[in-house]
Amino acid sequence: MPAKPAIIACTLLACWLLTACSQWRYELGAPLPETALPHDLSQQGISLAQALELLGPPQRMSATDSGFVLAWEHWHIQENSIGVSLGALGADFLSADWGEMRVSGEFMLLTFNGQHTLTSAARSRWDNYGGGGQAIQPFLGFISVVDTDDLTGIMPQHTWGSSLLQRLPGTLNMASNPASGQSGLQQRGTPTAIGQQSLELE
Amino acid sequence: MKHHAMLVVLALCAGLLGGCAQFESKRGVEVNWQQDVTAKLTRGESTRANVLALLGPPSQVIALDGETALYYLFEQSEGEGLVLILYNRMRIDTRYDRAIFFFNEQDVLTEFSTLIHEPDAG
Repeated sequence: MPAKPAIIACTLLACWLLTACSQWRYELGAPLPETALPHDLSQQGISLAQALELLGPPQRMSATDSGFVLAWEHWHIQENSIGVSLGALGADFLSADWGEMRVSGEFMLLTFNGQHTLTSAARSRWDNYGGGGQAIQPFLGFISVVDTDDLTGIMPQHTWGSSLLQRLPGTLNMASNPASGQSGLQQRGTPTAIGQQSLELE
Repeated sequence: MKHHAMLVVLALCAGLLGGCAQFESKRGVEVNWQQDVTAKLTRGESTRANVLALLGPPSQVIALDGETALYYLFEQSEGEGLVLILYNRMRIDTRYDRAIFFFNEQDVLTEFSTLIHEPDAG
């Protein structure tokens, strides 16, 4: 076999076996209307009907002691990573990875009293570096340098019906679980190691 | 020589031609809150039984002080990706079709709002 084609074939084979650049883009929900500014809403003392007309149904909701709270959100997550490994050959003896994540989005929170009148409004926007890292891992790859799982999970409404079928610590802490709709709500990515979910020992 | 050329072409195809991926994920309740359905509901008249008969069981029931809210959610994720071995790109777009209904102590509908996502044009 002539040397040149063999070299080309080996190079292409190497390219096929080595992992390389990956980009993930997540779009969660739709952007909130620009016109719905919190200070305008609270100054007018608008009703629940007006808020729903302006913003549509909320994505999150919970009862509170004095009424209820509604939330709308939009997330855009960018994950970039570069990695090199021979895992495709079954020889995962060395991998080198680099990754980063960028998170942007907005969140609007409106609270209403029992008479369905707006009592407070808040809106936040962010565009932040969401973490990342580098790793050289011989033999076994234990570490994922970018983790988006807690930001891209499903909405809590889907697990409401099975909320009492969790692991025992979770079920015992059900009264404080934000998925119940009775004990407040929380944004994506909120750590569970502290706060009202810490007893669930996740 | 012809054999070698064929080998190079095959290797080239394996190296340069990647693949593409497309997937979809759906979770939640059936979307039954189209406009022609909600047009049958009237604030101050329709009852919780009417809503449940039209839309079925909700994703979540929220007990308020003397009131209740029914929340319906359908979550749809669409992903598409380009796998070129050396460069891979995935894009996942998640949309939420949802509806919320508020009822007073007499189980009469007081407020409601619905949204069904319309796919982007083009």
